[in-house]
Amino acid sequence: MDVMIQRDHQWGEQFSEALSQPGSLSTWKHYNMGVQVMKEMVISDFKGLVTPKHLPHVTFHDYQMETAKKVMEEMHGKAILADEVGLGKTIEAGLILKEYMIRGLVSKVLILSPASLVTQWCQELNEKFFIPAVEQRKKPQWESVDVMVTSIDTAKKEPHAETIKTIDYDMIIIDEAHKLKNKRTKNYQFARQLNNKFCLLLTATPIQNKLSEIYYLISLLKPGYLGSEETFSSLYKSGNKNDELQQLIQKVMVRNRRETTNMKWTKRIVKTIPIEFSEAERKVYDSITNLKTPLKEESNPLQGGLLTLTMQRELCSSREAAFMTLKQTLEKMDSPSPTIVEEMQSIMVALHELPAHPKAVKVVDLINSWEEDEKVVIFTEYRATQLYLQWYLSQNGITSVPFRGGFKRGKKDWMKQLFKNHARVLIATEAGGEGINLQFCHRIINYDLPWNPMRIEQRIGRLHRLGQESDVYIYHLAIQNTIENHILQLLYKKIGLFEGVIGELDHILEKFNQQSVQEYLSSTFSSSETEGEIRIKMEHLASLMLEKNEGENRHATS
Amino acid sequence: MQQADIHLFLSDFFQENRCSIQPLSSTAFEVQLSNEIDKEIMNRPFYWHYIEKMNGQPSPFKLKIETDSSKMNDDKKTEFIHYGSPRLRQLFSLAIQKGKFGRFYEQVQPELQSVPLKPWLCLNGFINYHSHLKKNRFFSIGLSLITGEMLNDFHDLVQNWKIDSQLPHYTFTLSPLVKESSGIERIQHYLVSSVEKETHHWADEAITKMNVDLKLLEQFYTSETSSNETYEKEKQTISEQFQPYVTLSIENGAMFYLNSHPVNYPPLKF
Repeated sequence: MDVMIQRDHQWGEQFSEALSQPGSLSTWKHYNMGVQVMKEMVISDFKGLVTPKHLPHVTFHDYQMETAKKVMEEMHGKAILADEVGLGKTIEAGLILKEYMIRGLVSKVLILSPASLVTQWCQELNEKFFIPAVEQRKKPQWESVDVMVTSIDTAKKEPHAETIKTIDYDMIIIDEAHKLKNKRTKNYQFARQLNNKFCLLLTATPIQNKLSEIYYLISLLKPGYLGSEETFSSLYKSGNKNDELQQLIQKVMVRNRRETTNMKWTKRIVKTIPIEFSEAERKVYDSITNLKTPLKEESNPLQGGLLTLTMQRELCSSREAAFMTLKQTLEKMDSPSPTIVEEMQSIMVALHELPAHPKAVKVVDLINSWEEDEKVVIFTEYRATQLYLQWYLSQNGITSVPFRGGFKRGKKDWMKQLFKNHARVLIATEAGGEGINLQFCHRIINYDLPWNPMRIEQRIGRLHRLGQESDVYIYHLAIQNTIENHILQLLYKKIGLFEGVIGELDHILEKFNQQSVQEYLSSTFSSSETEGEIRIKMEHLASLMLEKNEGENRHATS
Repeated sequence: MQQADIHLFLSDFFQENRCSIQPLSSTAFEVQLSNEIDKEIMNRPFYWHYIEKMNGQPSPFKLKIETDSSKMNDDKKTEFIHYGSPRLRQLFSLAIQKGKFGRFYEQVQPELQSVPLKPWLCLNGFINYHSHLKKNRFFSIGLSLITGEMLNDFHDLVQNWKIDSQLPHYTFTLSPLVKESSGIERIQHYLVSSVEKETHHWADEAITKMNVDLKLLEQFYTSETSSNETYEKEKQTISEQFQPYVTLSIENGAMFYLNSHPVNYPPLKF
């Protein structure tokens, strides 16, 4: 075919001007050096990577180089990088960006990351990749800065959004992109409007519950790739054509897993620590359980069930968490019956009188049994628990720092630094789990269990990632004969969450698209009338998950 | 370029730009920057503005440079320079800038009668192949402005000659029959026609890929109620991503006045 060829008109004009001013002409030596440099700039092949030659101080793993090549050569620079947590997605994105920049295909870049990661992105790009990335400041220079790193929350605000939308970016990188799976959010709509030739979406959990969630992510990359919204839902939402969908997805997504990377990973040593409620605690737990029927009568059945469930889970974490919910519920109720008010108030009084939470006691025992300089990260789902634990640990002479998603960027960095250099414990709430890398620590306590199994993987991934040199110890605390234990025994143990098959977990979830796991769990616990009913429903869920996975394995080996 | 080549390049470059060099070891040296190079590479425009306004005595920086990573110590003042380091990239582009235009004469030995030097035009640069991927090819073409003869790899032919920007004694230059501006045209014409003769599988591939994506986009918008404007915009972005094209870029070039024919050098000595 005929290809358009553009000539160079500029050089010739400058040349005749230079000839008329002999003083401006080059020396023979300069001229030769110019040619020598030009020969260094030859990139004779469309394919392959020249970046490693430029960055001798960075060790790129084979799977990372393969990923970069695949993204550029087969996916045309539009891809979801969905490696498991801790395999270095940032490195892969940096490698791809650098290669494009060296080849001169990309110069204008926007990187959107969670606020807590902006500094880290800038640092990595500058120090590892020599890419002059700039952190957005109070008055960001969107037009004049070539490689800008900012949080999506800042970028989507006016007047920034207005300017950003008019810029033709060569490349957009969005970190933690799973947050963009809901097309109705402002963040999604903003991301959808960005002009870009190349686009990388980074997420360890492209699919949190349903395969169909990926539709909107892919529509950011390649609108129409999975058809229009209507055709997509009619074809795939039912789940019948999962295999086809899977194949389509693989053409725009790279997902490296620990076990397929050919790398030596340190081990994960998982310990489940059963904990008993005291008699008094058991009594309070039971009275919360007994609230279910009156609460259902008071409001609608679903809400009442969910509320009871929440308080049960909270009590397994801390008195304070349950107390807060009880108090708020009481305040919000419209003309409650005197009996339920009385009942709830007596529970609140009983909560007040409970001694230290048995989990907190256990945590102190655990920490005291380790060497003086051992550090640990504790994850909890509840703010109230976080505060309580911080207080309780300090009562026992253990230094700790809190970590939350809501912290400002600088505070997060500072907390991490404090933990690294001064404190023994970092207490993180769920949202704080993203975007901190804590390879220097190798113990993690799951103080309470999240209901989305992917969350556990994400928590562990903060520590068990590239650069972790020791085995990672993971402790799960679960209170016997409570809802926590149901989750633990009936679901997580069955699907092998704790037995080291970690990494396959997300594999299971990818296949499992019947109904969101979380929704299923909630409805099971809030609507089931008896223990037996719960048990049956949980076993059903576990077997569904496993069956789906084994079916897939058989398919793969046959 | 290996580290040894980089070392050589650096010391050549600084010396050529009147920066004095003090060797510290076989892989390290200290360089006293000239005012000019300090302005070019040290990124301190305010300092230089101030000095010039105040008529002050400038004190350009001294740099310590190490080209062997194993010899780097904690001395923060020493810069380790390697193939990908920003400093080297900066000097590379400065080197191209400084070598952009030339006029050179073969330094012939004086003979009994004055010697004629024949004009050649040489252009060096890249042929760039763009689509969603990119590669380039170096060219160095010499054109005789008397006979119209064209030579490939001209720079390789002449780079080791005795050449200087001064016209030697007892020589005179012949006037070109072809003007240098039409010489530039001829060389570009030659490059264009040689590119046209190539088979462009890469371009076919890019077009195929572009059409696939354009079709997907169209399907997406047939049911989507978004504005026509976003559709057009996205269509355009896809074309920009894949549209194959070739550009010629001339990076440097020179008029050469040569007595010998480039393929016959070195001249026979009697």
